[in-house]
Amino acid sequence: MRVLNRETGKKSSIGSGFIVGDGSRLATNYHVISQVILEPEVFYISFIGSDGQEGELKLLGLDVAHDLALLGAEHSLGEAIEMSPLPPRGAPIFAMGNPLDLGLSISVGTNGGILNQTDDSRILFSGSLNPGMSGGPTFNASGEAIGINVATARNDISFIVPSRFLSALIEKSSSDGYGAETDLKAEVARQVLAYESRYIEQLLESDWPNLDLRQFKLPGVISPTVRCWDNSAKLSAVALYKRYQIRCTNQNHVYLDEANSSVGRLLYEYYWLESEDLNAIQFYNLYESLNKDQVDAKLDRDMVSNFNCETWFVEVSSQQMKSNLCRREYVEYQGMSDVLFTAALTGHEDRGFFITLILTGVDYHATLPLIRKFLENTEWTP
Amino acid sequence: MDSLILEISTRGLHRYEPIDDEVTTLGRALDNDIILSDPTVAPHHLKIIRHQDGRLELINLAVVNPTRVGTRPIDTRELTRLPVDIEVGRVQLQLLARDNPVAETRPLAGNGRRGHLFGHPYWAILLALTCICVDALDFYLNSYNSFKWSDLLKYLLRETVLTIGAFVLALSILERLLVNRWEMKQMLTSVSLVYLMFAGASVIVVGLDYLLSASWPSTLFHFGWYLAIIPAAIAIYLIHISHIKRERSIVLALLIASPIAVPSILQSPELQALLDNFSSSASYHNRLSHLNWHLRDSVSIDRFIEQAKELEPGEIAD
Repeated sequence: MRVLNRETGKKSSIGSGFIVGDGSRLATNYHVISQVILEPEVFYISFIGSDGQEGELKLLGLDVAHDLALLGAEHSLGEAIEMSPLPPRGAPIFAMGNPLDLGLSISVGTNGGILNQTDDSRILFSGSLNPGMSGGPTFNASGEAIGINVATARNDISFIVPSRFLSALIEKSSSDGYGAETDLKAEVARQVLAYESRYIEQLLESDWPNLDLRQFKLPGVISPTVRCWDNSAKLSAVALYKRYQIRCTNQNHVYLDEANSSVGRLLYEYYWLESEDLNAIQFYNLYESLNKDQVDAKLDRDMVSNFNCETWFVEVSSQQMKSNLCRREYVEYQGMSDVLFTAALTGHEDRGFFITLILTGVDYHATLPLIRKFLENTEWTP
Repeated sequence: MDSLILEISTRGLHRYEPIDDEVTTLGRALDNDIILSDPTVAPHHLKIIRHQDGRLELINLAVVNPTRVGTRPIDTRELTRLPVDIEVGRVQLQLLARDNPVAETRPLAGNGRRGHLFGHPYWAILLALTCICVDALDFYLNSYNSFKWSDLLKYLLRETVLTIGAFVLALSILERLLVNRWEMKQMLTSVSLVYLMFAGASVIVVGLDYLLSASWPSTLFHFGWYLAIIPAAIAIYLIHISHIKRERSIVLALLIASPIAVPSILQSPELQALLDNFSSSASYHNRLSHLNWHLRDSVSIDRFIEQAKELEPGEIAD
């Protein structure tokens, strides 16, 4: 699978794909062909079959949230690969693809099971995937496709998209594909926002377990997709203060495009600071210097707007918190925003605490109930 | 016949020659009455003739760089009034009557009520020591580890002594070049006063930022400090201590302040934000204060969420 520049005729990105459905359709990853979505007038999608035949492909369907794309050829390309559910955990599975454009290759590993931290959208594969294998099929021992190669974390830790998402995409995609007038970026934005809004709704509907951090009860692991880590920095032996930091992040990010990379990030962080030895001015100088969390994604002006921020003093569990809410929008993807919320405890001379909550690639208005729930589940214990 | 004086200005220095004879010659050659040792002056450049009937006449003798009166070159010129500005090469002359009024006498910097502060070396030492104490306090309030004297001394040497020392030295050298004098104690007093003013104003501005939940006070202060306050302080010094004319002092103050102001402003994040029109960082209001004085009302979570619905995204940069 190749993305070619119409002017130079040379490939801009490569990946793998396989025949599905009626034999004229090919499945691959969305990230393999995402350049075509951004610049359809510059790039087009083409394939080279294992038998050497070549041809242009048109886009039939997208499932951006699960990183899948369905492509159509003008005629039948051969026999479609049968799809199958996941074999038992530990069973051998085989990933096929075109690593580094060197030719077809098979990587052997075992099924590590569906990962709930990825919102059930990834299978853990103990084999090695290399660039170029994305979009290729992963087989069980019977030669049926159980998923699609998608990503690697190196050292034989790789990820496969379960085949059920591909089956769903084949079922809902029309054979005509997207019309020339279709705004593909709007379609990508619609799919990402729908996925993220559903994800936020699930978070709102679930009961959140608490975690304790000194004098606060706080939202803990609010979803199976979230992992929390102690992030407290090691302090110098002569430090006159103590600080405790917990950082929680989700794993079910969504690939958007080469420039914007991933969205769908949920990060919340708690930071507690206390001192018996610093006076109030010293303590607040330190407290202020630490109050500077940011959204990590450094995006360009042609991708996102500036942030707009506003400040409130919000009463949370009988405490006053200086809160900031910031919002920026994506230029190319209508309705998609990054949101940064911070709230710092005020009114105590020797104790400080702040929450940071970051969401990327979301509908701004859908995040407000989540921020509300965060604050309502933040409890001060005197 | 009234007595005359010729003021000769070379590179900002003046000397005065009486013009008492009927004929006075000027030029670079050693047989002139007044010798002007400048390579742009001709060996015999100008003749000044005082006629018996009181008329005053200038005769140009130079071929290269002919004498100018006002801005025009002359061959001969009869003068009808004094004073008159004459250019001989690049040497500036002014022909004056001896009874030409002179400017009012300026008091020495050490005299008078205001001069008291600037006149005594004790004040200079006291203010410099105050700067050191203020910075020591600043170090203490911004250190979060066990106190170490060696750290404090290093900080004071780097932040206070070297900063004040560098400014006093650089500005004194400039003053020496401008007015041919050293005024070290007044300079130390002035630099220390400005230094203390900065420290005090910074504390006030940070408090204002928190009070108003805004960053414009510190932004305004940052620009105002370099663009207005530092040039104003230098201008005041030049007018009242160095006794340079007001207009010239203002121009000089702007020139002297620019090496400090221009890099500070160009490198400031505020200007970068203005010029760039875009930042991928969220510049939210992160100031915190133990006094917690703020003009904004506290709001409930419900009210906050209601108001947050109105928050628009930032501007899309060009």
